[in-house]
Amino acid sequence: MKKKPTRMQQPEIDRRTFLSTLGWLGVGLSGAVGVLGNLMYLKPAVDYGPPTRIRVGRPDEYTVGIKETRENERVVVVREKEGFAAISVTCTHLGCTVRATEGGFECPCHGSQFDNDGFVTGGPAPSPLAWYQVSIAPNGELEVDKNVKIPAGTYLRV
Amino acid sequence: MQAPTPTPDKRTAVGMFFESVYRSIFRYGRLPRDGEGASYAVFNSLFLHIHPVKVAKHSLRFTYTFGLGVIATCLFVFLTFTGVWLMFYYFPSATEAYGRMLDLRSAVDFGFVLRNVHKWAAEAMVFFVVLHMARVFFTGAYKPPREFNWIIGIILLLLTLGLSFTGYLLPWDQLAFWAITVGTSIAGYAPVVGEPLRRFLLGSDSVGQEALIRFYVLHVVILPGLLSIFLAVHFWRIRKDGGLSHPADNDTPAIKE
Amino acid sequence: MKDVDTTQVYPRDPRKTYGLMELVKGTRPTVGLDEDTVYAWPHLLVRELVIFLVVAACLLGAAFLIDAPLEEIANPNSPPNPAKAPWYFLGLQELVSYSAFVGGVLVPTVIVLGLMLVPYIDRKRVGIGVWFARERWLANGLFLTFLVVMVILIIIGMYFRGPNWGFVLPWEATTGH
Repeated sequence: MKKKPTRMQQPEIDRRTFLSTLGWLGVGLSGAVGVLGNLMYLKPAVDYGPPTRIRVGRPDEYTVGIKETRENERVVVVREKEGFAAISVTCTHLGCTVRATEGGFECPCHGSQFDNDGFVTGGPAPSPLAWYQVSIAPNGELEVDKNVKIPAGTYLRV
Repeated sequence: MQAPTPTPDKRTAVGMFFESVYRSIFRYGRLPRDGEGASYAVFNSLFLHIHPVKVAKHSLRFTYTFGLGVIATCLFVFLTFTGVWLMFYYFPSATEAYGRMLDLRSAVDFGFVLRNVHKWAAEAMVFFVVLHMARVFFTGAYKPPREFNWIIGIILLLLTLGLSFTGYLLPWDQLAFWAITVGTSIAGYAPVVGEPLRRFLLGSDSVGQEALIRFYVLHVVILPGLLSIFLAVHFWRIRKDGGLSHPADNDTPAIKE
Repeated sequence: MKDVDTTQVYPRDPRKTYGLMELVKGTRPTVGLDEDTVYAWPHLLVRELVIFLVVAACLLGAAFLIDAPLEEIANPNSPPNPAKAPWYFLGLQELVSYSAFVGGVLVPTVIVLGLMLVPYIDRKRVGIGVWFARERWLANGLFLTFLVVMVILIIIGMYFRGPNWGFVLPWEATTGH
């Protein structure tokens, strides 16, 4: 056993070491699978929160230039000449609710400011407000899908 | 086993009965008021034997430790007690929780005392755990052989912060809601793990019912359980590492490296 | 029967349970080499009991004198201005208001890892068991600076931050909602 292995010899692994290594690998692997399974269990799969696809009324209810804040849905519906858009009112800084103002949005918590397209114009916010996809539901109402984020400036033409 | 030599007995049968019950619990009669008795007092008790029989005079000096670790432990004991008591009335529901807080304050006898003690003990625990850490640092008590206990101490500090933070949401008032919104958003800034961690904590995209139930379970079961285990290891290590730090630890290889 | 030596090596004292006591030489248990020690009972335990009682008294006193804060019911549509994290995270929030990455990621990671590495970097066994040992001026100075900076940041966050996270003086502060 103490012989220095030459190039011709295969490194010796005795049966006991091999089986015990295999055993410990098995224990480790099942442990890892168990941890992974538990983490997957804890990952929120079903969203019990407020619905993410929301109907916000018919297009003709909105006049051009309006910014209507829907507080409960945490979204502001914008009607411009180009069409409709839905912008998130959740501040990208620390999650407060922004307020629509003349020139855009501002966060009352820590003073972040955004322009009409949700781009940061001041304050600590690191990124622009999210734009959500807007579509026309079968019944003719506007539908905002908060799961789908789209680039700023993308309007839905009606 | 040979019984102690019986002395002429003047006791009644009832007295002897109680005597035997007492002995079944404590094994010894009145302990001698000497070193031997003092030793038995400590190591025959499950609760006291985390202490050594004898301790260095140096570690008893109040101006050395200021009792900070003991204070933090006492606060944890009070928090566990008041916390369990609060659980009798608390209900982790976004619609119910706040009402229960109002009831605790006004309707339940001594409800406000339990809530207030829990709140102030929680704030104090964060404070005293940090002070305890500062004491350990400024007295060089983290040096070998106590390095690992310092690490456990940091884990205990993080668990204390976690407990305080998860408890913060439970009253479901404005303070709670926005502090947790802001706090979890800070966590969300961590690269890669930040956003999954935030979602794991909140169970959703924003603070709501899912966040409340998750914070509740973390606050009343998982984090206190972990903290108790690490606390036990922390105490055990104090003894294994030779008691509290002591000037005699300087360059005296108590544990050879 | 063979002649077997039946005397026990450690004769069992009927008043003792099995324990390390029976393996210790001498009549008293000892810890450490020096005998500069006292019995845990009563010297240590009485002190602990006193601390326990003082803590209990202080908590009860505080509980009767100061009510734990309780604001209006949570309302996701009306954030307070400013919204503040719990006090021990205000230092981080203060940093986050300058840079999200620094306050939210860099500083907490550096603090936790740094603290964990301390005993493995600073291994010289000098200055143990004394407050602010002269030999440890560098380590103590660094840690003190760290604590003071954290306390200052927390105090700024608690008292000097008003609406829009702007700087206010605490005696002029009005809580906006």
